[in-house]
Amino acid sequence: MADQLDAQLANKLRTALAACAVDDAWRGRGAWLQARVLIGLGGETLLLRIERGVLTLQDVRPPLTAWDFAIRGTAQAWTQFWHQPPPPGWHDLLALSKRGEMRIEGNLQPLMANLQYLKDLLALPRGVA
Amino acid sequence: MTSRGAAQLEPIVGRYFTTKVQDRDCRIYFEESGQGIPLVCLHTAGADARQFRHLLCDEAVTANYRVLAFDMPWHGKSYPPAGAYDCEYQLTTQLYVDTVRAFCAALELEKPVVLGCSIGGRIVLQLAHAHGTEFRALIGLEAADFQQPWYDTSWLNRPDVHGGEVCAALVSGLVAPQSPCRDETLWQYKQSGPGVFKGDLHFYRVDGDLRGRLGCIDTSVCPLYLLTGEYDFSCTPEDTLRTAASIPGAKVTIMRELGHFPMSENPGKFREYILPVLEEIRRAGS
Repeated sequence: MADQLDAQLANKLRTALAACAVDDAWRGRGAWLQARVLIGLGGETLLLRIERGVLTLQDVRPPLTAWDFAIRGTAQAWTQFWHQPPPPGWHDLLALSKRGEMRIEGNLQPLMANLQYLKDLLALPRGVA
Repeated sequence: MTSRGAAQLEPIVGRYFTTKVQDRDCRIYFEESGQGIPLVCLHTAGADARQFRHLLCDEAVTANYRVLAFDMPWHGKSYPPAGAYDCEYQLTTQLYVDTVRAFCAALELEKPVVLGCSIGGRIVLQLAHAHGTEFRALIGLEAADFQQPWYDTSWLNRPDVHGGEVCAALVSGLVAPQSPCRDETLWQYKQSGPGVFKGDLHFYRVDGDLRGRLGCIDTSVCPLYLLTGEYDFSCTPEDTLRTAASIPGAKVTIMRELGHFPMSENPGKFREYILPVLEEIRRAGS
Protein backbone atom coordinates (compact mmCIF):
# COMPACT_ATOMS: atom_id res chain seq x y z
CA MET A 1 0.00 0.00 0.00
CA ALA A 2 2.80 2.37 0.97
CA ASP A 3 4.69 1.49 -2.21
CA GLN A 4 1.62 2.28 -4.24
CA LEU A 5 1.19 5.68 -2.63
CA ASP A 6 4.87 6.50 -3.11
CA ALA A 7 4.61 5.55 -6.80
CA GLN A 8 1.52 7.74 -7.19
CA LEU A 9 3.34 10.68 -5.66
CA ALA A 10 6.33 10.18 -7.96
CA ASN A 11 4.01 10.01 -10.96
CA LYS A 12 2.32 13.23 -9.93
CA LEU A 13 5.65 14.98 -9.86
CA ARG A 14 6.73 13.46 -13.17
CA THR A 15 3.55 14.69 -14.85
CA ALA A 16 3.80 18.20 -13.40
CA LEU A 17 7.46 18.61 -14.31
CA ALA A 18 6.95 17.25 -17.83
CA ALA A 19 4.38 19.97 -18.45
CA CYS A 20 6.65 22.78 -17.32
CA ALA A 21 9.74 21.36 -19.04
CA VAL A 22 8.52 22.82 -22.33
CA ASP A 23 7.42 26.13 -20.85
CA ASP A 24 9.63 29.13 -21.70
CA ALA A 25 8.74 31.03 -18.54
CA TRP A 26 9.84 28.16 -16.33
CA ARG A 27 12.97 27.70 -18.42
CA GLY A 28 13.78 31.37 -17.91
CA ARG A 29 13.37 31.16 -14.16
CA GLY A 30 15.87 28.32 -13.95
CA ALA A 31 18.29 29.74 -16.51
CA TRP A 32 21.08 30.34 -14.00
CA LEU A 33 20.85 26.95 -12.33
CA GLN A 34 22.78 23.78 -12.97
CA ALA A 35 22.06 21.14 -10.38
CA ARG A 36 21.29 17.49 -9.79
CA VAL A 37 18.49 17.32 -7.24
CA LEU A 38 17.65 14.07 -5.50
CA ILE A 39 13.97 14.00 -4.62
CA GLY A 40 12.68 11.44 -2.17
CA LEU A 41 8.95 10.76 -2.00
CA GLY A 42 8.44 8.19 0.72
CA GLY A 43 10.26 5.15 -0.65
CA GLU A 44 10.59 6.49 -4.20
CA THR A 45 13.61 8.44 -5.36
CA LEU A 46 13.89 10.58 -8.47
CA LEU A 47 16.84 12.50 -9.86
CA LEU A 48 15.95 15.88 -11.29
CA ARG A 49 18.63 17.39 -13.53
CA ILE A 50 18.35 21.10 -14.16
CA GLU A 51 20.67 22.38 -16.87
CA ARG A 52 20.16 26.11 -17.30
CA GLY A 53 16.43 25.72 -16.87
CA VAL A 54 16.06 22.53 -18.91
CA LEU A 55 14.57 19.76 -16.76
CA THR A 56 15.22 16.04 -17.03
CA LEU A 57 13.72 13.61 -14.57
CA GLN A 58 14.85 10.04 -14.12
CA ASP A 59 14.42 7.21 -11.66
CA VAL A 60 17.45 6.60 -9.49
CA ARG A 61 18.52 3.01 -10.01
CA PRO A 62 22.30 2.68 -10.21
CA PRO A 63 24.31 2.86 -7.00
CA LEU A 64 26.73 5.73 -6.47
CA THR A 65 24.47 8.21 -8.23
CA ALA A 66 25.88 11.69 -7.71
CA TRP A 67 23.72 14.64 -6.73
CA ASP A 68 24.19 18.19 -5.46
CA PHE A 69 21.42 18.45 -2.94
CA ALA A 70 18.55 16.27 -1.80
CA ILE A 71 14.98 17.02 -0.78
CA ARG A 72 13.46 13.97 0.82
CA GLY A 73 9.98 13.96 2.32
CA THR A 74 7.70 11.38 3.82
CA ALA A 75 4.69 10.30 1.77
CA GLN A 76 2.49 12.21 4.19
CA ALA A 77 4.59 15.35 3.73
CA TRP A 78 4.15 15.39 -0.06
CA THR A 79 0.49 14.39 0.15
CA GLN A 80 -0.33 17.25 2.50
CA PHE A 81 1.99 19.71 0.73
CA TRP A 82 0.13 19.11 -2.54
CA HIS A 83 -3.30 19.37 -1.00
CA GLN A 84 -5.25 22.48 -2.09
CA PRO A 85 -5.13 24.40 0.18
CA PRO A 86 -2.35 22.72 2.14
CA PRO A 87 -3.00 22.55 5.88
CA PRO A 88 -1.03 24.88 8.19
CA GLY A 89 2.46 23.62 8.92
CA TRP A 90 2.42 21.35 5.85
CA HIS A 91 2.31 24.15 3.27
CA ASP A 92 6.00 24.90 2.67
CA LEU A 93 9.18 22.89 2.19
CA LEU A 94 10.86 24.64 5.11
CA ALA A 95 7.81 24.18 7.32
CA LEU A 96 8.07 20.46 6.57
CA SER A 97 11.78 20.54 7.30
CA LYS A 98 11.12 22.25 10.64
CA ARG A 99 8.57 19.62 11.65
CA GLY A 100 10.90 16.78 10.66
CA GLU A 101 8.81 15.51 7.74
CA MET A 102 11.38 16.59 5.14
CA ARG A 103 15.16 16.46 5.00
CA ILE A 104 17.08 18.98 2.92
CA GLU A 105 20.79 18.28 2.68
CA GLY A 106 23.88 18.44 0.49
CA ASN A 107 25.41 21.49 -1.16
CA LEU A 108 22.66 24.01 -0.45
CA GLN A 109 24.18 26.99 -2.31
CA PRO A 110 22.38 26.27 -5.61
CA LEU A 111 19.16 25.63 -3.68
CA MET A 112 19.34 28.87 -1.73
CA ALA A 113 20.35 30.89 -4.79
CA ASN A 114 17.25 29.61 -6.61
CA LEU A 115 14.97 28.97 -3.67
CA GLN A 116 11.68 30.43 -4.88
CA TYR A 117 12.04 28.76 -8.28
CA LEU A 118 12.60 25.36 -6.68
CA LYS A 119 9.82 25.86 -4.12
CA ASP A 120 7.39 26.75 -6.88
CA LEU A 121 8.58 23.91 -9.08
CA LEU A 122 8.00 21.30 -6.39
CA ALA A 123 4.60 22.77 -5.54
CA LEU A 124 3.31 22.31 -9.10
CA PRO A 125 1.34 19.11 -8.35
CA ARG A 126 -0.68 21.03 -5.73
CA GLY A 127 -4.38 20.60 -6.30
CA VAL A 128 -3.90 18.23 -9.25
CA ALA A 129 -6.15 15.19 -8.89
CA MET B 1 -5.44 60.61 -22.08
CA THR B 2 -5.10 61.55 -18.45
CA SER B 3 -7.61 63.70 -16.66
CA ARG B 4 -6.33 66.47 -14.39
CA GLY B 5 -7.32 66.24 -10.76
CA ALA B 6 -8.32 62.59 -10.99
CA ALA B 7 -5.92 61.36 -8.32
CA GLN B 8 -7.66 59.65 -5.43
CA LEU B 9 -5.27 60.71 -2.68
CA GLU B 10 -4.85 58.33 0.22
CA PRO B 11 -5.02 59.80 3.72
CA ILE B 12 -1.44 58.72 4.57
CA VAL B 13 1.07 61.51 5.20
CA GLY B 14 4.82 60.74 5.36
CA ARG B 15 7.32 62.85 7.34
CA TYR B 16 10.94 62.70 8.54
CA PHE B 17 12.53 63.76 11.78
CA THR B 18 15.90 63.20 13.42
CA THR B 19 16.26 61.92 16.96
CA LYS B 20 19.03 60.41 19.02
CA VAL B 21 18.95 56.69 19.74
CA GLN B 22 21.78 55.48 21.97
CA ASP B 23 23.67 58.71 21.22
CA ARG B 24 23.49 58.31 17.46
CA ASP B 25 21.49 60.63 15.25
CA CYS B 26 18.81 58.69 13.43
CA ARG B 27 16.74 60.23 10.67
CA ILE B 28 13.42 58.43 10.93
CA TYR B 29 10.75 58.19 8.27
CA PHE B 30 7.20 57.59 9.41
CA GLU B 31 3.72 57.64 7.96
CA GLU B 32 0.58 58.58 9.78
CA SER B 33 -3.13 58.84 9.34
CA GLY B 34 -6.18 59.46 11.51
CA GLN B 35 -6.69 61.08 14.86
CA GLY B 36 -7.28 59.98 18.39
CA ILE B 37 -5.42 57.40 20.43
CA PRO B 38 -1.82 57.05 19.16
CA LEU B 39 -1.29 53.59 17.63
CA VAL B 40 2.38 52.94 16.87
CA CYS B 41 2.99 50.10 14.40
CA LEU B 42 6.24 48.09 14.29
CA HIS B 43 7.12 46.24 11.10
CA THR B 44 8.67 42.77 10.81
CA ALA B 45 12.38 42.00 10.46
CA GLY B 46 13.89 42.96 7.12
CA ALA B 47 10.81 44.87 5.99
CA ASP B 48 9.42 48.37 6.51
CA ALA B 49 6.36 50.35 7.50
CA ARG B 50 4.64 49.84 4.15
CA GLN B 51 3.28 46.67 5.73
CA PHE B 52 0.74 48.89 7.49
CA ARG B 53 -0.52 50.83 4.48
CA HIS B 54 -3.91 49.14 4.59
CA LEU B 55 -4.37 49.80 8.31
CA LEU B 56 -3.39 53.44 7.71
CA CYS B 57 -6.19 53.75 5.17
CA ASP B 58 -8.87 51.92 7.14
CA GLU B 59 -11.43 54.49 8.27
CA ALA B 60 -12.76 52.09 10.88
CA VAL B 61 -9.34 52.42 12.53
CA THR B 62 -8.39 56.01 11.77
CA ALA B 63 -11.70 57.40 13.04
CA ASN B 64 -10.50 56.77 16.60
CA TYR B 65 -6.77 56.19 16.28
CA ARG B 66 -3.83 58.24 15.10
CA VAL B 67 -1.97 55.43 13.34
CA LEU B 68 1.80 55.91 13.05
CA ALA B 69 4.10 53.47 11.30
CA PHE B 70 7.84 54.16 11.15
CA ASP B 71 10.74 52.60 9.32
CA MET B 72 13.32 51.41 11.83
CA PRO B 73 16.83 52.81 11.22
CA TRP B 74 18.44 50.83 8.34
CA HIS B 75 14.96 49.99 6.95
CA GLY B 76 12.75 51.45 4.23
CA LYS B 77 13.33 55.21 3.94
CA SER B 78 15.19 55.52 7.26
CA TYR B 79 18.91 55.41 6.55
CA PRO B 80 21.38 53.75 8.90
CA PRO B 81 22.36 56.07 11.78
CA ALA B 82 25.03 58.63 10.99
CA GLY B 83 28.44 56.99 10.94
CA ALA B 84 27.08 53.44 11.04
CA TYR B 85 27.52 52.39 7.40
CA ASP B 86 30.78 50.58 8.02
CA CYS B 87 29.43 48.69 11.03
CA GLU B 88 27.64 45.36 10.92
CA TYR B 89 24.02 45.99 11.83
CA GLN B 90 22.83 43.95 14.81
CA LEU B 91 19.56 44.73 16.53
CA THR B 92 19.53 44.05 20.27
CA THR B 93 16.70 44.03 22.78
CA GLN B 94 17.93 47.28 24.34
CA LEU B 95 18.48 49.03 21.01
CA TYR B 96 14.99 48.06 19.89
CA VAL B 97 13.36 49.25 23.13
CA ASP B 98 15.34 52.50 22.98
CA THR B 99 14.31 53.08 19.36
CA VAL B 100 10.60 52.61 20.04
CA ARG B 101 10.69 54.80 23.14
CA ALA B 102 12.70 57.48 21.29
CA PHE B 103 10.08 57.55 18.55
CA CYS B 104 7.23 57.91 21.03
CA ALA B 105 9.06 60.57 23.05
CA ALA B 106 10.09 62.63 20.02
CA LEU B 107 6.49 62.84 18.84
CA GLU B 108 5.22 63.39 22.40
CA LEU B 109 2.80 60.50 22.13
CA GLU B 110 0.83 60.17 25.33
CA LYS B 111 0.17 56.60 26.45
CA PRO B 112 0.24 55.14 22.94
CA VAL B 113 -0.88 51.69 21.96
CA VAL B 114 1.97 49.77 20.33
CA LEU B 115 1.20 47.08 17.78
CA GLY B 116 4.21 45.08 16.61
CA CYS B 117 4.55 42.10 14.29
CA SER B 118 7.15 39.31 14.48
CA ILE B 119 10.26 40.98 15.96
CA GLY B 120 7.84 43.82 16.67
CA GLY B 121 5.65 41.34 18.51
CA ARG B 122 8.60 40.05 20.48
CA ILE B 123 9.63 43.56 21.57
CA VAL B 124 6.05 44.28 22.61
CA LEU B 125 6.53 41.57 25.24
CA GLN B 126 9.66 43.30 26.51
CA LEU B 127 7.84 46.66 26.56
CA ALA B 128 5.06 45.05 28.61
CA HIS B 129 7.66 43.63 30.97
CA ALA B 130 9.86 46.69 31.48
CA HIS B 131 7.79 49.73 30.50
CA GLY B 132 4.14 48.71 30.74
CA THR B 133 3.04 51.89 32.50
CA GLU B 134 4.01 53.97 29.47
CA PHE B 135 1.45 52.35 27.21
CA ARG B 136 -2.34 52.23 27.04
CA ALA B 137 -2.22 48.71 25.62
CA LEU B 138 0.17 46.46 23.72
CA ILE B 139 -0.61 44.20 20.78
CA GLY B 140 1.77 41.49 19.62
CA LEU B 141 1.18 39.93 16.22
CA GLU B 142 3.05 36.66 15.63
CA ALA B 143 4.63 37.15 19.05
CA ALA B 144 6.29 34.66 21.37
CA ASP B 145 9.00 34.69 24.01
CA PHE B 146 11.04 32.29 21.85
CA GLN B 147 10.70 30.24 18.72
CA GLN B 148 12.73 27.42 17.28
CA PRO B 149 15.11 28.50 14.46
CA TRP B 150 14.33 26.90 11.10
CA TYR B 151 17.27 27.99 8.91
CA ASP B 152 20.83 29.22 9.11
CA THR B 153 20.80 33.03 8.91
CA SER B 154 24.23 33.08 7.26
CA TRP B 155 22.38 32.46 3.97
CA LEU B 156 20.85 35.93 4.20
CA ASN B 157 23.95 37.96 3.39
CA ARG B 158 26.71 36.38 1.31
CA PRO B 159 28.01 37.25 -2.14
CA ASP B 160 27.05 34.00 -3.90
CA VAL B 161 23.33 34.21 -3.04
CA HIS B 162 21.16 37.22 -3.94
CA GLY B 163 20.13 38.65 -0.58
CA GLY B 164 16.79 40.10 -1.59
CA GLU B 165 15.73 36.98 -3.45
CA VAL B 166 16.68 34.54 -0.72
CA CYS B 167 15.14 36.64 2.07
CA ALA B 168 11.86 36.80 0.17
CA ALA B 169 11.96 33.13 -0.79
CA LEU B 170 12.59 32.04 2.78
CA VAL B 171 9.71 34.05 4.23
CA SER B 172 7.37 33.29 1.34
CA GLY B 173 6.31 30.11 3.12
CA LEU B 174 5.16 32.18 6.08
CA VAL B 175 2.43 33.77 3.97
CA ALA B 176 -0.85 31.85 4.12
CA PRO B 177 -1.74 30.24 0.77
CA GLN B 178 -5.09 32.07 0.79
CA SER B 179 -3.56 35.53 1.11
CA PRO B 180 -4.12 37.92 -1.82
CA CYS B 181 -1.19 40.30 -1.18
CA ARG B 182 1.64 37.77 -1.20
CA ASP B 183 3.69 39.51 -3.90
CA GLU B 184 3.51 42.92 -2.24
CA THR B 185 4.52 41.44 1.09
CA LEU B 186 7.54 39.72 -0.43
CA TRP B 187 8.59 42.76 -2.45
CA GLN B 188 9.58 44.54 0.78
CA TYR B 189 12.02 41.72 1.52
CA LYS B 190 13.44 41.91 -1.99
CA GLN B 191 14.11 45.62 -1.46
CA SER B 192 15.71 45.38 1.97
CA GLY B 193 19.33 46.51 2.40
CA PRO B 194 22.13 43.93 2.55
CA GLY B 195 22.43 42.30 5.96
CA VAL B 196 19.46 44.14 7.45
CA PHE B 197 17.17 41.11 7.78
CA LYS B 198 20.06 39.14 9.24
CA GLY B 199 20.85 41.98 11.65
CA ASP B 200 17.24 42.08 12.84
CA LEU B 201 17.33 38.34 13.42
CA HIS B 202 20.25 38.83 15.78
CA PHE B 203 17.63 40.18 18.18
CA TYR B 204 15.28 37.33 17.37
CA ARG B 205 17.74 34.47 17.53
CA VAL B 206 20.59 35.57 19.78
CA ASP B 207 19.71 38.45 22.06
CA GLY B 208 15.95 38.32 22.46
CA ASP B 209 15.22 34.98 24.10
CA LEU B 210 12.64 36.14 26.64
CA ARG B 211 11.81 32.75 28.12
CA GLY B 212 11.62 33.09 31.88
CA ARG B 213 12.17 36.86 31.63
CA LEU B 214 8.58 38.05 31.33
CA GLY B 215 7.64 38.10 35.00
CA CYS B 216 5.96 41.15 36.43
CA ILE B 217 3.82 41.87 33.38
CA ASP B 218 0.68 43.43 34.83
CA THR B 219 -2.10 43.28 32.26
CA SER B 220 -4.40 45.24 34.58
CA VAL B 221 -2.04 48.20 34.10
CA CYS B 222 -1.38 47.58 30.42
CA PRO B 223 -3.61 45.11 28.59
CA LEU B 224 -1.74 42.68 26.33
CA TYR B 225 -3.23 41.11 23.21
CA LEU B 226 -1.47 38.40 21.20
CA LEU B 227 -2.74 37.42 17.75
CA THR B 228 -1.05 34.76 15.62
CA GLY B 229 -1.85 33.38 12.19
CA GLU B 230 -2.37 29.65 11.87
CA TYR B 231 -0.03 29.42 8.86
CA ASP B 232 2.89 30.98 10.74
CA PHE B 233 5.35 28.15 11.19
CA SER B 234 8.07 30.50 12.45
CA CYS B 235 6.11 31.83 15.41
CA THR B 236 3.56 29.06 15.66
CA PRO B 237 0.21 29.32 17.41
CA GLU B 238 1.68 26.93 19.98
CA ASP B 239 4.57 29.37 20.61
CA THR B 240 2.12 32.19 21.27
CA LEU B 241 -0.18 30.08 23.43
CA ARG B 242 2.80 28.90 25.50
CA THR B 243 3.94 32.50 25.96
CA ALA B 244 0.47 33.71 26.92
CA ALA B 245 0.09 30.91 29.45
CA SER B 246 2.92 32.51 31.46
CA ILE B 247 1.31 35.99 31.46
CA PRO B 248 -1.89 36.24 33.54
CA GLY B 249 -4.54 38.23 31.70
CA ALA B 250 -2.94 38.07 28.24
CA LYS B 251 -5.59 37.61 25.57
CA VAL B 252 -4.80 35.30 22.66
CA THR B 253 -6.43 34.94 19.26
CA ILE B 254 -5.38 32.40 16.64
CA MET B 255 -6.21 33.87 13.24
CA ARG B 256 -7.49 31.49 10.59
CA GLU B 257 -6.17 31.61 7.02
CA LEU B 258 -3.44 34.07 7.96
CA GLY B 259 0.33 33.75 8.20
CA HIS B 260 3.24 35.74 9.62
CA PHE B 261 2.35 39.09 7.98
CA PRO B 262 -1.39 39.45 8.64
CA MET B 263 -1.73 43.22 8.11
CA SER B 264 0.18 43.06 4.85
CA GLU B 265 -0.66 39.69 3.29
CA ASN B 266 -4.41 39.75 3.85
CA PRO B 267 -5.61 43.09 5.24
CA GLY B 268 -9.27 42.25 4.72
CA LYS B 269 -9.05 39.11 6.83
CA PHE B 270 -6.80 40.79 9.41
CA ARG B 271 -9.26 43.61 10.13
CA GLU B 272 -11.84 41.02 11.19
CA TYR B 273 -9.50 40.21 14.07
CA ILE B 274 -7.89 43.56 14.89
CA LEU B 275 -10.96 45.82 14.85
CA PRO B 276 -12.58 44.16 17.91
CA VAL B 277 -9.27 44.45 19.78
CA LEU B 278 -8.93 48.14 18.97
CA GLU B 279 -12.55 48.73 19.94
CA GLU B 280 -12.03 46.99 23.27
CA ILE B 281 -8.97 49.14 23.98
CA ARG B 282 -10.83 52.32 23.04
CA ARG B 283 -13.82 51.48 25.23
CA ALA B 284 -11.60 50.61 28.18
CA GLY B 285 -10.06 54.08 28.06
CA SER B 286 -13.23 56.07 27.58
